Amino acid sequence: MNLRFIDWIWHVRGSLALAPGQSSEDAFEKLDPLFHEIGTSHERANGMLAFRKKDQPAQDKMAVFDSGVLRIEKGAAGSVLHYHLISRALLFCFVLVPLFLGIAQLTIVVGKYQKPPAEAATKKPAAKVAVVALNPIDKALGAPAPEKPRNGADKPGARNKKPSATSAYVFAGMFAVLYVIGRILEDWLVKRLFRKRLLGA
Amino acid sequence: MDGVLIGNRMVGTQSPVTIGWENIPKVEGGPVKQFVFTWFQPTVLFALLAFWYYAPNSIATASTAIGIGIGFRAFLMVLEWVNPRFKSWHLTWKELVTDLFYVGFTYTLLRIVDLYIGSDALIASAQQHLHLEKFAWFTGLPLLVQALAISLIFDFGQYWMHRGMHNWYPLWLPHSVHHYITQLNINKGAVGNPVELFLIGLGIGGLFDFVPRAFLLAGTFGLAVGTYQHINVRFNSPKWWRFLFTTTEHHSLHHSQDYESTRCNYAGSFIFIDRIFGTCIDGEAELLGMEGGRRMTVREQMTYPFTEGWKAIKERFGASPAAVPAE
Repeated sequence: MNLRFIDWIWHVRGSLALAPGQSSEDAFEKLDPLFHEIGTSHERANGMLAFRKKDQPAQDKMAVFDSGVLRIEKGAAGSVLHYHLISRALLFCFVLVPLFLGIAQLTIVVGKYQKPPAEAATKKPAAKVAVVALNPIDKALGAPAPEKPRNGADKPGARNKKPSATSAYVFAGMFAVLYVIGRILEDWLVKRLFRKRLLGA
Repeated sequence: MDGVLIGNRMVGTQSPVTIGWENIPKVEGGPVKQFVFTWFQPTVLFALLAFWYYAPNSIATASTAIGIGIGFRAFLMVLEWVNPRFKSWHLTWKELVTDLFYVGFTYTLLRIVDLYIGSDALIASAQQHLHLEKFAWFTGLPLLVQALAISLIFDFGQYWMHRGMHNWYPLWLPHSVHHYITQLNINKGAVGNPVELFLIGLGIGGLFDFVPRAFLLAGTFGLAVGTYQHINVRFNSPKWWRFLFTTTEHHSLHHSQDYESTRCNYAGSFIFIDRIFGTCIDGEAELLGMEGGRRMTVREQMTYPFTEGWKAIKERFGASPAAVPAE
């Protein structure tokens, strides 16, 4: 299978027209500070710039990308910057969706196999709650008296002993939304960053 | 770099730190903003305590506590945008995804592990083997006294566990991963190697789970005090608050790139425990992390304690020099 059909998941490609008369040398000079961050190495040759990042700190404006190539090509309408950036963070977020769906399935399977001991654990301390009486000070201050324990897992303050798949599904959904946001946002942010740099003083 | 001498230790020689409340910047803005960011923390704490104290039994449930916890954290994320402590700690998409991965990990896989071999299992086992009726005197105490006692016992245990992590190499290895974060945000407390997350989740507070309302009240200290350890919000915390409770300032210093500064402020909620044991320093730091601010990848965060541990074992018990063949 040609990876190109799916590599948009973690590859960001784009282009940006340079200002009329701006040379590739000048454009790369303006972009150069972006590649002097901690953990970033880069090479420039023949109208191309290739960079690689390792353990880049969160403060790096291009921290979401791990490597990439920037190329300036001359066209009929002027020079254009083409970039191809690779982000493992985008891939990671994409993979988290099936991962948490898998965790949800695992939780269900574990719950099925471990049901008897989990239920036993909830019942045991419940019997002891019945003997608790409210302190006279709390009574005077108007705190509600504890009620007799129910057999439900959601009794006041009780730890939910039976693992629930709901949270895993919620996180899977959250990462699906985050992926869509990130794929659009980071694409837009890097384009804006390059544009600002190229047009900046 | 010139450091600051505190007692017999020199802090801030490797990376800049700010020592002393008088040197820490205040909230900038008009009187309303000043008022809000001065009284927000105490108001939320007392409001939550009152809520859990008086809420009817039908509302005082674990699921309400989870809901409040999620809602409160979401609100604090908005506050991080409104009034950040440092621009360099601004939450990016990548940081959010990584943080939430660990939050999700804690809420799902780690919860299953805890249920069967972690604190829940230990508590269930202890409840079976100890005669807990002997603790009935405890459950007869006023609710707020019980809640405070549970929080203090838990935080005292966490203090020594945390201090142990900074002083004993086998415990430092899993904890070190958490110190590679380069900024503080609301969910950064969840970032760490799973072994550490498991260790930190071990608490003895659950032994006393007779009066659930006391637990909900005790949890409030974790939510309305402990949460501020990792937050990118500038507060003018009142003097009494920062004397009693751990603040972002305290914890940022603990995460500083300066080694000596990391060896202070171990308590999660009650900083006076540090004051008692002489490990408290009032101050803050912006430059955080290890190895000059190298941010670990998630893969390395998962494997680091094991690979480094293996290296240490090989160094100590490594194979003897290659045998020289006999002539």
